[in-house]
Amino acid sequence: MNGRRAGAISLRILQQFRHDRRTLMLLFGAPIILLGLFYFLTGGGSSLPAVDVVNLDRGPLGAVLAADLGRSTEISVTPTTEAQAASDLSADTVAAYVVLPADLSARALSDDVIAPTVHLEGTQPALTQPVLLALDQSVTRASRSLAAAEGMRVPALEPSLDYLHGGPGLDTLDYFGGAFIGLVVFLLVFVVTIIAFLRERSQGTLERLMASPLRRADIVVGYIGGFMVVAAVQAVEVVVFTLYALHVHDQGNVALIVLLTLLMTLVAVNLGIFLSMFATTEFQAVQFIPLAIVPQVLLSGIVFPVATEPGWLQVVSRILPLTYGVDGLRDVMLKGNGLTSGPLLVDIAVVVVFAVALIAAATATLRRSAS
Amino acid sequence: MIRAQPVAVSVEGLTKAYGTIRALDGVSLTVGAGEIYGLLGPNGAGKTTLIRSLVGLVNPDAGTVTVLGRRLPDRTVLAEVGYMPQAPALYADLTVEENVRFFASVHDLDRRTGAQSAVDALELVDLTSRRRSVVATLSGGMRQRVSLACALVHRPRLLLLDEPTVGVDPQLRAELWQRFTTMSGEGTTIIVSSHVMDEAERCGRLGLVRFGRMLAEGTSAELRRLAGVERLEDAFLVLSESKS
Repeated sequence: MNGRRAGAISLRILQQFRHDRRTLMLLFGAPIILLGLFYFLTGGGSSLPAVDVVNLDRGPLGAVLAADLGRSTEISVTPTTEAQAASDLSADTVAAYVVLPADLSARALSDDVIAPTVHLEGTQPALTQPVLLALDQSVTRASRSLAAAEGMRVPALEPSLDYLHGGPGLDTLDYFGGAFIGLVVFLLVFVVTIIAFLRERSQGTLERLMASPLRRADIVVGYIGGFMVVAAVQAVEVVVFTLYALHVHDQGNVALIVLLTLLMTLVAVNLGIFLSMFATTEFQAVQFIPLAIVPQVLLSGIVFPVATEPGWLQVVSRILPLTYGVDGLRDVMLKGNGLTSGPLLVDIAVVVVFAVALIAAATATLRRSAS
Repeated sequence: MIRAQPVAVSVEGLTKAYGTIRALDGVSLTVGAGEIYGLLGPNGAGKTTLIRSLVGLVNPDAGTVTVLGRRLPDRTVLAEVGYMPQAPALYADLTVEENVRFFASVHDLDRRTGAQSAVDALELVDLTSRRRSVVATLSGGMRQRVSLACALVHRPRLLLLDEPTVGVDPQLRAELWQRFTTMSGEGTTIIVSSHVMDEAERCGRLGLVRFGRMLAEGTSAELRRLAGVERLEDAFLVLSESKS
C-alpha cells in the first residue's frame, strides 16, 4: 500500500463529488426526506383511522364505553346511527364501525361478557389493528371503573368481527399482493426506460434521430410501443405468478388486473423518458430511484394507509400515480369490484390522465433537448 | 433523376452563443449542388456547431439557414439529408446491419428498399463481412465506418460529415474519398469538416473557420495564393494568424 497513491484516489473521489452537486444533494438531502416521511407515516402527527360508534345499549355501559372510545389516541370516533355507519363504511370514509348492542350492559352483568360487533372494511390490516386495540383499551378502562364502583367482576371483551371485504381468511400476502404487482411492474419498467432513454441521449443517437425526419411524437410513441410489448408479457407473467403460484386471493376479474398493470407500465415508461431529461449520466438516473420511487412507495398506501397520513401528506399521496394504481388493484383483487364500480373507474381514469400528462411531458422534454 | 439544384445550402449571418462563448458569429456560406465543401479550422472553431445548424439541431440566435430550397426549421427536408456526427452515435448493442437498417427506416425507406440500401451502404464502407457483428465488439475505426453507412444509407442529396475519417486507416480513407468524389459527381452535395490537410485538398472549395467566423473561402490553390505559401497547412496557419 502506497499512501500517496491511495490518497490520490481519495482526493479524486472528493473532487468528483464536488463537481456532482446532484449526488451531494442526494447523499445529504434524501436521508432527511426519507426519515422525515417515516416519522410522519408511523405516527408523528399522522391522522387517526376514522371509526363510527353506534350505541344501542339500554344500560349504562354503552355510554361509558362510547365516551371512552371518543378519547382514544388510536382512533378518531364519531357517534352515529347504524344506517349512517354502514353507508360510511361502504363509501370508505371510515375504517370500521362499532355497534354496542342493546343488551351490552345486561350481558356484562349476567354473563361477564362485553360483546360489541365490529364491522371492519377489511382490506387494510393496518387500519384494522388500531380499531381492535382502541376497543380493547376502552373496554378495560370502562369495565374496570364500573367494576370498582358497583363491586362486580371485570367482564371479558368478546367482540364479534364482521368484514365488509376480505376477512380473517386473508393473510398478509393477500393484502399486499395486489399492491406489489403494481409496484414491481412500475419500478422495473421505470428503471429500464430511464436508463434506455438516457443511453439514447448519452451515446448521441437521440441527436441523430433529431436530425432525421422523425418527429418527437414518433420517438415517444415508438418507445411506448416497444416497451409495452415487453411490459405486456411481464404483466401477464407477474399476474399469473401472483395468482396461481403464490395463490394470492383474488375476488375480481383477472383481465382487469392485467389492464391496470399495463396502465401502470404506460405511466412508468413516460415517467422514465420525462425524468431522463434531468439526468446526464446513468449514475444520476439511478438516483431517481430513491428520489422518485421510494417516496411513492411510502406514500401510495401500500404499507401505510393513505387515510392515516397527516392531512398535507394525503395531498401529496393524491398526486402520485402509484396511489391510484395500488388502490385500483386492491379494489379488484380484494373487493372484487368491476367496471361498474365508481371508485375503480376513478382510479383507472386518474391513471390514464397521469399517463397522458406524462406522454405530453415526455414529448415536451424532447423539444428542450434541441439546443 | 436528380433535379437541377444550383444552391444546396445557403447560410446567412448565422450567430449562436452558448453563454459567453460565441460558437458562431455571423457566418455566411453558400454551397452549390454536387459540390464537396470542406470546413477547416482548429478545435472549438465552430465547425461542429455550423454543421449541426444545417440539420436543425441548433436554434440560432440570429441568421437564416436554407437547405435544399427550404428554410429551417423544417423537418421534411431532413429525409434528404444525411448527418454523420463527430462521435460515432450508434446502438452499441445492435449489429452493424441492424443499425444501418434502423437509420434507413427512420429516413422513410420502406423495408425492402431499406434492406437493399443497407447492403449497398455496407459495401461502400467495406463492412459487408462484419454486418452481423454487434457494434460494441468493433474497433473505433470500424464504428466510424458504420456511422458513415448510417448517414448515407438513404442516399441523401446533402451529406454532412463531421470529421468522418478520424480513426480510419489511410487506405480506407482514400477509398472513402474516392466514393465521396463519385457521389458528388452524381449530384450529392457534401459538406465535410476536417483538420486533415490531404483531405482538404480533395474538396472543391474550402472554408476556413475560426472563432465562429468564416476567415477565408476558396479552392485550395486560392487559399495558398492568398496566404502566399506553398502548402495548404501553412496557408491555414498564416490565414488563422493574420485574421485573429
